[in-house]
Amino acid sequence: MVSARNRRSRREELIEARVLLEEIRKNNVTHVVGVPDNGSRKLYELLKEDSRIQVISVTHEGEAFSLASGLFLGGKNPLILIQNTGFLESGDAFRGTAFNMGLPLVMLIGYRGYESMRSGAEPVDTAATFFEPTLKAWNVPYYMLHTTSESYLISAAFSKAAETSLPTAVIYPGECV
Amino acid sequence: MDKYVCIEKLAARRRNEIVVTTMGVAAPWARLSDGPLDFALVESAMGQGPPFALGLALAQPGRRIILLNGDGSTLMCLGALITIAQNPPDNLTIVITENGTYEVIGNCPIPGAECVNFETLARGAGFSQVYTIESDDDFDALLPLHFEGEGTPIFIWKILRAGEPVPKPQPYIRERAWCLRRALVGK
Repeated sequence: MVSARNRRSRREELIEARVLLEEIRKNNVTHVVGVPDNGSRKLYELLKEDSRIQVISVTHEGEAFSLASGLFLGGKNPLILIQNTGFLESGDAFRGTAFNMGLPLVMLIGYRGYESMRSGAEPVDTAATFFEPTLKAWNVPYYMLHTTSESYLISAAFSKAAETSLPTAVIYPGECV
Repeated sequence: MDKYVCIEKLAARRRNEIVVTTMGVAAPWARLSDGPLDFALVESAMGQGPPFALGLALAQPGRRIILLNGDGSTLMCLGALITIAQNPPDNLTIVITENGTYEVIGNCPIPGAECVNFETLARGAGFSQVYTIESDDDFDALLPLHFEGEGTPIFIWKILRAGEPVPKPQPYIRERAWCLRRALVGK
């Protein structure tokens, strides 16, 4: 049974894809590269309808980092859109391209398993357990976007990435609607 | 074929194309050309040459990107062929140098060295212009196609084993990456 507390928290974590898209547009993103998941599906649908942004689906999240690195070095402004499981899978591609090259890439990463870390919740998997420690270990600045009203954090991440020349993440639990 | 002869012929014909190299081709290419448009993607991230080159090609539609990728590197990110085949840019050329080994670690055999067919893999991914080159005469005849055409051609060079060590390009990849960006977009 889902408790009232958990039901409330779930409502809070329904993020409006339309608002995220506006924030992405505001940062002049030219390409979105990644792999859709159940949390980002709605945002992917909206992005594909946007003629100003090219969506590139890759077969494996590691490709997203190298592809986005090539786009950036060629003068474009890509955004990486993946799930935390894919981020964990991407380790060497992330390290060997975007990180080692010092590229100010922004990644929007779904936080699968976040609910399972709440007190009393049943564990779903270890995706959440490993996620933030990995971001810290890999020296990735990140922002946690809980609600639609915090979509401004995407712009904050672009500023942070430009300032540090480090790939920077916005991580979000829940799903886009 | 001898890869050193092949890349010498490629370099002789090359003008303003970006050449991305990996593993066993990186050092020999750098001995022929090592400017801002010669990019060795070798600080690991093994297998990431194709998507990296795709990003450059999409960002720079007026300039051809030639990727020289090893067979082991190709296998390490095989799905990238499908990513590229979804929408193959007209300005990307992919070369797979096939010798059946991970050359830079001492020619350990790659998985499937005795049976994998890269032309079949590429066609199965959706590429229509795929050429397996096994002789110098065929190489000479097909060399111009490396620099032209619509869609993304893939050339599989059947090359002899060699003994290149692990490439260690200078300066570090960060400086080389930003040097490439400055050459392409000025900042």
